[in-house]
Amino acid sequence: MQLSGLRYGSKLLQLVEFPVADFIDGSATNQEIQQFLEKHRKLVVKPAFYGGVGKKGKAGLVRIVSTLQEALQAKRELFFAQHTYGNKTVTANGVTMEAFIPSDLEVYFSISSSSEYRGPVFTITPWGGVDIEDLPPEKKAVVEIDPFIGINAFEITNALTDTGCPEAFISALVQHLPKLWDLYDGYGLTTIELNPIRVVRKGNHVRPVACDVKASFDQDNPAWKRIGLPDALFQTETTAFEADINELRTYQGQSDVLEMNPRGSILPFMFGGGANSAGTETLGEAAIFSSDFGGNPPYEKIYEISRIVFEHWYDQADMLLLIGGKANNTDIYVTFKGVFDALRDHVAKAGWKPLYVVIGRGGPNVVKGMFYAKDILDRLRLPYKMFGHDTSMILTLEHARKIDKWWGAEGADAYRKQIETQVRA
Amino acid sequence: MRRLKTRPFPYYVGLHSLEELVTREHRVCVMNILGSESRKVTPVSHEYSGGNIVAGVQYGRRGVLETKIGDIPVYRSIREVMEKGITFDMGVVYIPPLGVCKAVSELVTHNEALKRIVIVTEKVPARDSRNIRALCQEAGVDVIGANCLGMANAWDRVRIGGSLGGDHPAETLVKGSIAIHSNSGNFTTTMAEYLRTAGFGISTAVSSGKDVYIHFALPEFLYAAQNDPRTKAVVIYVEPGGYYEKTALDWIKDRTFGFTKPIIACVTGRWKKNITRACGHAGALSGSGDDAEAKERWFDEYFGVDVFDPKTCNVSKRGVRVSSIQYIPDAVRAVYEKIDEKPDFATTGDLSLKLWLSDTMMKLPEGLTLPLVRAQSPYDQQIVEVNKQVGAHYLRQGMADKSGASRMNRETQVSELHGMSVLDLSRYTLEENLYFSLAKVMPEKADIPTLNLILNLFMKIDERRMELIDVARANGCTPNAYLASQIALVGDKDLLAKSRGHARFIIDLIREFGLDELTKVFPPELDDFVVKHLLGSEPSRKTDVSDLLFKEVKKSRKSCVALKVCQHIIDLAETRGLEIRDTYEFLLATIAVCVLWNPMLEKRISRQLVEDSVTYFYLMSRIVAYSVVDRANNPLWKKLVDQKLSNLNHSFTENAFKVLFGREPEPAELVEFQALLGLTITNGPGTLSAKGAKESVSARNDISMAFVGFLANTGRAHGGNGYDAIDYLMEQFQGVVLPDPGNPDHGVDLKKMATKAAKAYGSYKRQMREVEEGAVKPVPCVNHPVFRGNQINVDPREQFVAGVLKEKGVYNAFWEFYHLLVHALYEEGVTKNVFCVNVDAVLAVITLKLVWKDLQAGRITLRQVQDLAFTLFLFGRSVGVAAEIADHRDRGLDMDCRTPESDLTFVL
Repeated sequence: MQLSGLRYGSKLLQLVEFPVADFIDGSATNQEIQQFLEKHRKLVVKPAFYGGVGKKGKAGLVRIVSTLQEALQAKRELFFAQHTYGNKTVTANGVTMEAFIPSDLEVYFSISSSSEYRGPVFTITPWGGVDIEDLPPEKKAVVEIDPFIGINAFEITNALTDTGCPEAFISALVQHLPKLWDLYDGYGLTTIELNPIRVVRKGNHVRPVACDVKASFDQDNPAWKRIGLPDALFQTETTAFEADINELRTYQGQSDVLEMNPRGSILPFMFGGGANSAGTETLGEAAIFSSDFGGNPPYEKIYEISRIVFEHWYDQADMLLLIGGKANNTDIYVTFKGVFDALRDHVAKAGWKPLYVVIGRGGPNVVKGMFYAKDILDRLRLPYKMFGHDTSMILTLEHARKIDKWWGAEGADAYRKQIETQVRA
Repeated sequence: MRRLKTRPFPYYVGLHSLEELVTREHRVCVMNILGSESRKVTPVSHEYSGGNIVAGVQYGRRGVLETKIGDIPVYRSIREVMEKGITFDMGVVYIPPLGVCKAVSELVTHNEALKRIVIVTEKVPARDSRNIRALCQEAGVDVIGANCLGMANAWDRVRIGGSLGGDHPAETLVKGSIAIHSNSGNFTTTMAEYLRTAGFGISTAVSSGKDVYIHFALPEFLYAAQNDPRTKAVVIYVEPGGYYEKTALDWIKDRTFGFTKPIIACVTGRWKKNITRACGHAGALSGSGDDAEAKERWFDEYFGVDVFDPKTCNVSKRGVRVSSIQYIPDAVRAVYEKIDEKPDFATTGDLSLKLWLSDTMMKLPEGLTLPLVRAQSPYDQQIVEVNKQVGAHYLRQGMADKSGASRMNRETQVSELHGMSVLDLSRYTLEENLYFSLAKVMPEKADIPTLNLILNLFMKIDERRMELIDVARANGCTPNAYLASQIALVGDKDLLAKSRGHARFIIDLIREFGLDELTKVFPPELDDFVVKHLLGSEPSRKTDVSDLLFKEVKKSRKSCVALKVCQHIIDLAETRGLEIRDTYEFLLATIAVCVLWNPMLEKRISRQLVEDSVTYFYLMSRIVAYSVVDRANNPLWKKLVDQKLSNLNHSFTENAFKVLFGREPEPAELVEFQALLGLTITNGPGTLSAKGAKESVSARNDISMAFVGFLANTGRAHGGNGYDAIDYLMEQFQGVVLPDPGNPDHGVDLKKMATKAAKAYGSYKRQMREVEEGAVKPVPCVNHPVFRGNQINVDPREQFVAGVLKEKGVYNAFWEFYHLLVHALYEEGVTKNVFCVNVDAVLAVITLKLVWKDLQAGRITLRQVQDLAFTLFLFGRSVGVAAEIADHRDRGLDMDCRTPESDLTFVL
């Protein structure tokens, strides 16, 4: 759960009265844009994305304009701009036009969790506006934060001094930056990054103004809900399938899914974080989703999860795969009962199709669970292979992958014909 | 920032050697000990660890958690534990995520002797995690977790925290020389299991969790492993995200602490760099420099060799990285050879593909085929045993006021049985619905004649039994009472008990010998078994009925494994010149198993239900047979119940009609009859009838007595109340010439009648209000608490049945009268809007229509009409109750319907 840009980032910063650059969004009329231009002389036009999207500047998606014509041209070009970063391509949903703020100093400031310090840290540099990773160590400071105290003014002062910040600007930054801890701590953030903060001098008065914001939220901390951000902001991060499964989300986990390849062929029910990691890696693109249904889900929950899975993917899938190590606590019988009851009910509703089933699992009641699956699969005339925990999980995954390839290429068709012949007979 | 530091770390670490991490001397207190997970895991930990859990906390409650080696006392708070003088140095937290930080604070605040806390809870907010860190660092307490399964010491046989090693920790956590540190709880056990297979045991295993913050991370683990004389090598499982491993390796390199033991590291999660949201472990989300590839690089540089290749087994003394956990045993073996160490014990196998169970339907191509392999002990024995089990299994629980069979759908306000509404059920015959109530699916077409045969067969009764009913009637008993008296006498008679035994035998035989529909050759061992246990030389009792069944079973061509087995047994008996013991019951059991085999295999129903099914069929038939209202004038009933084998192939629904009405039904009447029965099947588990049956099951009665419980819980207010509406209608239609209420051209001005009735009711209402406020008796079957408030109101259930019957061209004058009446009541200003005709009216108008001609002709008395209406309800409800009884027998516990003393009230 992330956000970037001023459109919603400003809402966040206003919670702690941190100054933000003026901006208008894509719905502004020509007259409004013109007035905004007259007030600020130059505007920075950026595409607005839902979720957290970085590297817009490097991708050439940021324009500085000084006339209405240029602003409209930029708006046209960026309104539905596509942006690829990592393996993800996103489409903009409008633009923001921000007041261009001339300044003598650009500051980078972020608060994040550090595994090196085992706690929160802030990172600061007066050499902002660039990627923080590109700066040499002496130009940036990383400072631990005592979570019960927050950010001390002296820590900001020292860090800015150490990194070469001109003295004239330090006081203004010390006044405003500590507030960001209240935001970070009080509203369930895991990262907040302001880059750049432009420090504006008006006469004797110096003021930092945030010109871009990136923030990530902790989905296990409900505090972010108090901010009142629109639901749509995070919806683009989840697919319809994920959203349906997320309805079942509780603190016990048991229903984590991530859609991987909607054109894949394997429905992988993964049990445990390790199986999730190893399974997703081994199955690659064949996996329709990545999942973690471990943690001893009760029957009703695993039935519901399975029902949703089959609802979304039964038609697409060639193989149902249940994979996990030797469970510690999860009752295999209960989970298998949920999965296969749901499969039975879905087949009764949606009709039969050749679906190959592979199981690799160990743990309490594993044999009972496997026989539960076996009886239903025999009755449904669906072929299966079941391996215990004395088989390497990875070998099971690799074997499943091979069967899946053959099944998709020829096995399923041959089997369909075989069953049809039997039914006719 | 000022804080505690223990050299060589820039933070607090409370141990020097892994030996000290978790021992039998540690005393443990578990928070939220009675929570669902802890309640299951804690007793196993306690028993495995020699009883080291000294107390538990359950906020607001006191009590005990039972374990095999004694109860663990449970208190309301840590303060209370301390006040009791109980000392402990380890805390385990099972509290839900948002309370974890507070629980840690409570532990730290009240117990200065605390050394470590294990947090099992998943999804603890990052904010709370950092606060926990700060709190515990200040207090000098080590934290393991959150989102972990704790830690175990195989040398001392102790585990603290979660469920490492599962329900049988001693099986997996075998004493040895490997220390495990894993980001995955499941993999901690799985890797221990893999190592055990290859001849390596463990010293200490730590499930570190994989949240954003790992509090007991690799640096301190390696430091402690180095100082542990039991540990010769370290196996670690690492996921992306965080710099813990880099820090540890850097500190080894810069000699912050010395480390000389080999590490076998498995890093997974390359794909995770492409995701922006955590799935599985919350902390397994990497930034730019801590993804899986970066971590692989850190380790490869440290080891100085490439990733482990099982073909070359190239490793260094520092260890090796493996690409997946399956290579861990080989890599450890190679590393041990390198450092000149021996495995801890002999290998017990390998991790190659071992197929436990496979279908026989589809042959895989060359290269993919695998032989079935005997599973390792004790799983091989379990496979043999579980293979014998078949059918659905349910968790036993208190089933008072609960049902897995019926419920009222809150949206539609229509009751459902096994997910099907009574409206839909009203389209099916009695025999189909009875089958459905047991099997949870409608019967296949081919099974319907068999069902009719068996149900009609059980209608054959000894007519002398009716004398008892005559006495009951003479004494003013209602139908439920005299039927109950007869059903109570059924008990678990020989016929039923033996049929149950045979059903069990048939199912066992099928599972034991792995038979299915495609079986063509029966093994000689099966024949020997059958000869020994089922056949004998003593002649079996033969009757016309058993001969009939014998022929039916022998000639049947149905593809069913039970039938096949039975046919084989018949052939076997004939070939060997032997007799099947209790042939009749055996054949009944065969038929029952055959019709219910598929639902049982589909796990819709339990094996117990299939074994009991003959009893259910028998009781239902008997209820119908004993229900005759006027047996002296019912020649059809006589034919149905005598010992001649006629009428057996008729529909059971049709025969039930004949029993009640003493005549052949018209096709339209049969439709109405079955609609009426369908509608009364259930009204959810809260009804008195269902409760009566369930309470009887709860007292562990035979099925017949559970039916008595149902019958005893019906009466003039429940089941017999439909008569009020009939009475009302008869009053309205008194003196009206209506020869056939099913003929729409009856020539009666129903609208005029309705207006008259509405005026009369209006005047009655006014009169009553003047006399006594609120004592107005409503018009029966009009209005409904849910379907009200609109200008024109409709009960969708009534509308549905009306539609079905209209489709079939069935007309009912009484029904039309009711519809005209609700409009007339509005037009006359008696009601504020047009009330609905509710579904109870359907029962009344159909019943009245069915008896109308006989009533007019004087062939039936009013009392008999009353009994008929009641009996119709009992027929329908018997079907639903059969489902409740079966459900409660499957899921319930003895005495679960008892009300605890604390819930009872004494009224003055």
